[in-house]
Amino acid sequence: MSDITLQGLEKRYGETTAVEDVSVEIDDGELLCLLGPSGSGKSTTLRMLAGLETPTEGAIRLDGEDVTDQPAYDRNTSTVFQDWALFPHKTVLENVAFGLKMRDVPTDERRERAQAMLERVQMGGYGDEDPTTLSGGQKQRVALARSLAVNPDVLLLDEPLSNLDKRLREDMQIELREIHDDLEETFVHVTHDQDEAFTLADRIGIMNEGELIQVGDPDEVYENPKNRFIEGFLGDTNFVDATVARTNGEAVYVETELGAELILPSDGAHGLESGDELTLSLRPEILSIDRGEPDAAATATADQRAVTDGSTTNAVAGTVANVIYRGSTVRYSVSIDGASVFAERTDASSGSLSAGDDVTLEWDGEDVLAFRADGSRVSLREP
Amino acid sequence: MTEATSTSASALPNPISAVRSRLATQSGSRRALLLMAPLIAFELLIFVIPFAILLRISFAAPSSDGVYHEGTWSLEAYQQVFASDLIWSVLGYSFFLGVVVTVLSVAIGLFYAYAIWRSSGVVKSLLLFSVVLPLLTTLVIRTYAFDPLLVPAGLVPGTAGVVVAQLYIVLPYAVLAIYSVMATTDWHVVEAARDLGASRPRSVLEVVVPQVMPGIIVAAVVSFAWSVGAYAAPELLSNSITFAIYVEGLMLSDMSYPTAAALSVVMLGLMSGCIAAIFGVLNRFGGDFELA
Repeated sequence: MSDITLQGLEKRYGETTAVEDVSVEIDDGELLCLLGPSGSGKSTTLRMLAGLETPTEGAIRLDGEDVTDQPAYDRNTSTVFQDWALFPHKTVLENVAFGLKMRDVPTDERRERAQAMLERVQMGGYGDEDPTTLSGGQKQRVALARSLAVNPDVLLLDEPLSNLDKRLREDMQIELREIHDDLEETFVHVTHDQDEAFTLADRIGIMNEGELIQVGDPDEVYENPKNRFIEGFLGDTNFVDATVARTNGEAVYVETELGAELILPSDGAHGLESGDELTLSLRPEILSIDRGEPDAAATATADQRAVTDGSTTNAVAGTVANVIYRGSTVRYSVSIDGASVFAERTDASSGSLSAGDDVTLEWDGEDVLAFRADGSRVSLREP
Repeated sequence: MTEATSTSASALPNPISAVRSRLATQSGSRRALLLMAPLIAFELLIFVIPFAILLRISFAAPSSDGVYHEGTWSLEAYQQVFASDLIWSVLGYSFFLGVVVTVLSVAIGLFYAYAIWRSSGVVKSLLLFSVVLPLLTTLVIRTYAFDPLLVPAGLVPGTAGVVVAQLYIVLPYAVLAIYSVMATTDWHVVEAARDLGASRPRSVLEVVVPQVMPGIIVAAVVSFAWSVGAYAAPELLSNSITFAIYVEGLMLSDMSYPTAAALSVVMLGLMSGCIAAIFGVLNRFGGDFELA
């Protein structure tokens, strides 16, 4: 049980910077996921926490104590590695007892504690096995038991589930979450899988190109992403280029390749001027797709609609280009004046559509996120 | 599978599948024997037959006018070997040299292999190249070169000089044997050990050494066998007599072939015992020899 402070953490290898100015406070007993694509510096950050890498700059504090220059073996952190790194010449039980052996725990006691830990991860009957003969899921459990056996202040998990198949991975996510809640220890979990982060995390820290861009609750980072990278990384979305046509106190009006002038309702906090280049994000879940031409009210110019009824609905006409069945949902790729946008419906929703059908896409302008050319988020409303 | 092959072969007179199905019906052991024939012939010609001749000569009666009495059977040569204090002191010295050089070469080889394993880029290439470089020079020249090097230090002639020169001969093989296994070891395992509280030396001892044990065994056997049978280094750099030098004397000066052959057979037995002991002892410290 420990809280962690990372302050201005930086790691450079010669000319390349792997981690740049990462600062975050991790609460006691929290499960923080560091999420990012490969090469984003999340594993390097974790390795610095473990003491396996020395930061070029910055400080790491565990419970207020500066451990920046403490080697891994003096730090009471414990890592579960991506390839699990079990000792191949030791039995499963010897693997789990290793950390206790290094702490000079007497033989009988360490055997007992290792066995108890194996049972906790449902591997009690495998103590005498050769770890190289185990399956991936079993190795992962043994690696977890080995790391937990030393009662670490912080458990560090470096993508331990990424080598498992999908089903097993999902089971393990829930199990890991349960173990965490049970132990009330601080966990830092590194992953490139958004679903895994959303399933496990109390808070998610999103990293890209060595920087920690945003830290927040799962729903906060999903619904309120700080920049365009996060919006694109956390789920599938349609990015549509837009140019600001004009603005007034109620909305920003933009021209896009979708052919119609679109409304972005705003209270004027955006600071945009006409001519500014934007990228809009239309997530598939905000789009409704229906057969037929849009009705006259919806195709009236945005300006008219906003003035007349205060509606923030946008509608465009298009043609279904292709249909992809994805199990529980069906994804429609709709071409609109040469541009392409995808929308999703659950399979059960009425009237199946097929390629070539004329359709209308509708969405509420309130649900659209806008980003400037440099990727930063446009705040359309006063926070 | 076999059926499918034979039907398609009969339906289509394809020469390749015809040969294939004929091979498939041939018994596995006969084919294996056929493939091993050149190796078996080589072993017979170069190893088994000469050794049989050696064994036969060791049981012949020594002769004062020839190298041995042809067609005689006698244990006289073995009696001479076991009765001679000189021979036992020569053997003692040979084994002493073997043990000292083996311990040093495995210890230094382990460090050197670790250095190669952990280095990268130019440094790694340089370290590897400098192991192989001495092997490109003739052994005799390499060994003679120690004379001017060691004389100022007062190590020639003497056992210390012999140990240094013999170590120089066997060390590259020890390094390569250990490094070849170490190179397949996963560095993450060492990191895991350190993460769990093992200090640097402890992590190597607990995790790396057991994993490279097959390489260490090979290094130990090569160093030991070569050093016990050392000829060039003791001959060129000291007045000491090792087993190999003594056998040479028996054959070329004393013309006593049966004694030389008997000594060689005794030596072979002793060496086999020692190598079995090396395997037995080292294997207990971990490592799986089947993986070597």
